[in-house]
Amino acid sequence: MPRLSRRSAVSRLALASLLAPLGPELVLAATTPRRGGTLTAIVQPEPVVLTAAVNTAAPTQFVSGNVFDGLVDYAFDLSLRPSLATSWEVAPDGKTITFHLRQGVLWHDGQPFTSADVKWSLENVWQTIHPRNKSIYKNVETVDVPDEHTVVLRLKAPSLAIMSTLNASGATILPRHLYEGTDILTNPYNNKPIGTGPFVFKEWKKGEYILLERNPHYWDQDKPYLDKLIFKVVPDAAARAAALEKGEAQYAILSPVPLREAERLGKLPQLRIETRGYEWLSPVFYLDFNIDNPYLKDVKVRQALAHAIDLQAIAKIVWYGFAVPAISPVPSTVPFFHNPDVPRYAFDPARAETLLDEAGLKRGANGVRFKLTHDFLPYGDDFKRTGDYLKQALKRVGIEVDIRAQDTASFIKRVYADRDFDVSSSWNGAFPDPQMGITRIYWSGWVGSGTPWTNASGYKNPLVDDLIDQAAISPDAKARAELFRKFQTVVQTDLPTLPLAELRFFTLHAANLRDLTQQGDQVYASVKNAWFDTSAE
Amino acid sequence: MALAEPDELGAPAGALMPQSGPCLAMRLLRRPCAVIGLILLAVILFMAASANWLYPDDPLDMVALPFLWPGDDPAFPLGTDMLGRDLIAGIFHGARVSLAIGVVATFVSLLIGVGIGLLAGYHGKRLDQGLMRATELFQTIPPFLFVLAVVAILQPSIPAIVLAIGITSWPGLARIVRAETLKLRQSEFVEALIGMGLPSWRIILFHILPGTLAPIIVSASMMVATAILTESSLAFLGLGDPNVISWGGMVGAGREVLRTDWYVATLPGIAILVAVLALNLLGDGLNDALDAKQHQ
Repeated sequence: MPRLSRRSAVSRLALASLLAPLGPELVLAATTPRRGGTLTAIVQPEPVVLTAAVNTAAPTQFVSGNVFDGLVDYAFDLSLRPSLATSWEVAPDGKTITFHLRQGVLWHDGQPFTSADVKWSLENVWQTIHPRNKSIYKNVETVDVPDEHTVVLRLKAPSLAIMSTLNASGATILPRHLYEGTDILTNPYNNKPIGTGPFVFKEWKKGEYILLERNPHYWDQDKPYLDKLIFKVVPDAAARAAALEKGEAQYAILSPVPLREAERLGKLPQLRIETRGYEWLSPVFYLDFNIDNPYLKDVKVRQALAHAIDLQAIAKIVWYGFAVPAISPVPSTVPFFHNPDVPRYAFDPARAETLLDEAGLKRGANGVRFKLTHDFLPYGDDFKRTGDYLKQALKRVGIEVDIRAQDTASFIKRVYADRDFDVSSSWNGAFPDPQMGITRIYWSGWVGSGTPWTNASGYKNPLVDDLIDQAAISPDAKARAELFRKFQTVVQTDLPTLPLAELRFFTLHAANLRDLTQQGDQVYASVKNAWFDTSAE
Repeated sequence: MALAEPDELGAPAGALMPQSGPCLAMRLLRRPCAVIGLILLAVILFMAASANWLYPDDPLDMVALPFLWPGDDPAFPLGTDMLGRDLIAGIFHGARVSLAIGVVATFVSLLIGVGIGLLAGYHGKRLDQGLMRATELFQTIPPFLFVLAVVAILQPSIPAIVLAIGITSWPGLARIVRAETLKLRQSEFVEALIGMGLPSWRIILFHILPGTLAPIIVSASMMVATAILTESSLAFLGLGDPNVISWGGMVGAGREVLRTDWYVATLPGIAILVAVLALNLLGDGLNDALDAKQHQ
């Protein structure tokens, strides 16, 4: 190895300090929120609709989270905090869940918010059209509304995962009086949303901006502090970086600029880089091995591949430090379910070679054992760089990798429908409950279904299916966590999918925008706590 | 062009060209632009030829710390990229790929373009009409979009890229060759050859083709340059072959760090610039040297 140059040593230190929590200057600055100001946020790409109830794409959730409230929101440790529900009880048998709703809350059109809105949304949206919630809410048999501020869910079988879906984007409550009897998916209010949230929809100029204004009747004390909230559409990454640098925009989420650029922007005095607020999303980046491939069907070969790949290098070099090595498919940001005691595959190319030899795949005359293809998720340079890294890492142990590039539609068809691949990369939001984002990667029912981000490997293990099914209807939180821990041990032993890294998405925001990031689902929640600190000016 | 003097009628094919062998070389060397072009091209050819010998290791291998700047470490004079790959090794190996793509793609489009031009120009009438309408059809499609579409359908790989560039860059050449052929077709020596009962393919191949070589050679040098640029643009858009290192691919990968580590994209960019410049200078020089009127 060459000596460590001074420049890179310095940039590494800088990176480390960048990713540390916000600096001390924030603590010293003014701490009393100040009213007023317009926050310009960057939304990318432009949302197709502004109501998260009918579309779970990130841009829609970003805007929608400011117009709607959830029953609860989630703290950094993913515990539940009151929002439209002030308290809730889950019966010991898990078959009854009761929510007590906040009183005196109004929809933006002045109508009162009541338990009937929740009941209607659950029955007509969460159970029927919401892609993530359908299976989680399917056990809800009846919804009782004994009074205007109490909702009681009665379930055929328990479904504790419900408790992880209850924020504004996970289970959006729609105003029944505007939606009842209409076609929900084409209701015009999807594009001029009426919520109960801190900001009121004003205008959507397609291709340019979405304008929200402060809700003067908001239930939460003097919040929000900002007068206006503008979402600007900026399709070009360089333009986004420039807008943030010049202060034309003060807030952008989901890693809005290239990672290396983020390091530079994060060092500027007028900007801050923030990696909190993604805990509810908890993105996991992984490789799927096609276990119908003649080589990859052998678990020894899959384990050898795991030993040949340096997860530290992927996190530190390929993802510029905006990732940490994954231990299991349920990330450490979901501590209640994360199992740190799963089998681990330390970076050890020699061990990889031994395993491959044992599998009977000796190096040929040209040093090559066998060939594989790698299809990387075409979501940008970071995924392609990961492919470049894999090619080199596997070459060292005698596996030749042919990288294939393609567009997203071809990728989804190839990997999830045709299953015409050897090794593919992808990422899922893990969410606070493995049932929301992780188990679908392993559940056998999804094989070959063509549904993106489900079981691509072709893994079919009755034990795993059983653990998943049991956990889905277990009434006891602790027992469920135990089932999911066991699930992680089994899948990390069989290794149909190799978790590579917990991605650390980042937010860029203006340094004088205070108290922005307050919760674990911040990126899809409202900016009601944020305020502009003008004391330094 | 004073190509078809009646007294040259029975002469061997090569003699039909007024410029040949050493004369052409001499005329080329008298033009400073052409000389610069040749020197630059020689440098790039040297890089391509010596890559395996000077940098025998895989240029895609991660050999050092990422983001070593040029001069940071004498072992890596041009520094390393975001994954710690040696940039100078990449540029040397990239020369092989970029030149190979340029030459092979040009060869493909020469085959199509010259073939169609000769056939259309010689046979005229309905065949000419048909071939020229087809050529116009190709000309109405923006070539780069066409290349993009072909590569997207075939999956990005070197053969697909070569094919895509080859089958989209011939229409201009076909029209030039057709025009030249039309001129020659009406000349007396061709009439005479037909009168002598020579089969058309012999006339086309041995008597008309040599007469059209000058514009073909000039076009070809420019087409190699264009092909290199097109491959670079494809790679820049992420549609290059990710399994081999090419200059365009290096620029594309370096784009995201342009603001922070500009050298990663700039160095291979300079290589593209030099190669394209060299081929253009050479093409200009050839054009001048082959232009009969100018040296008379």
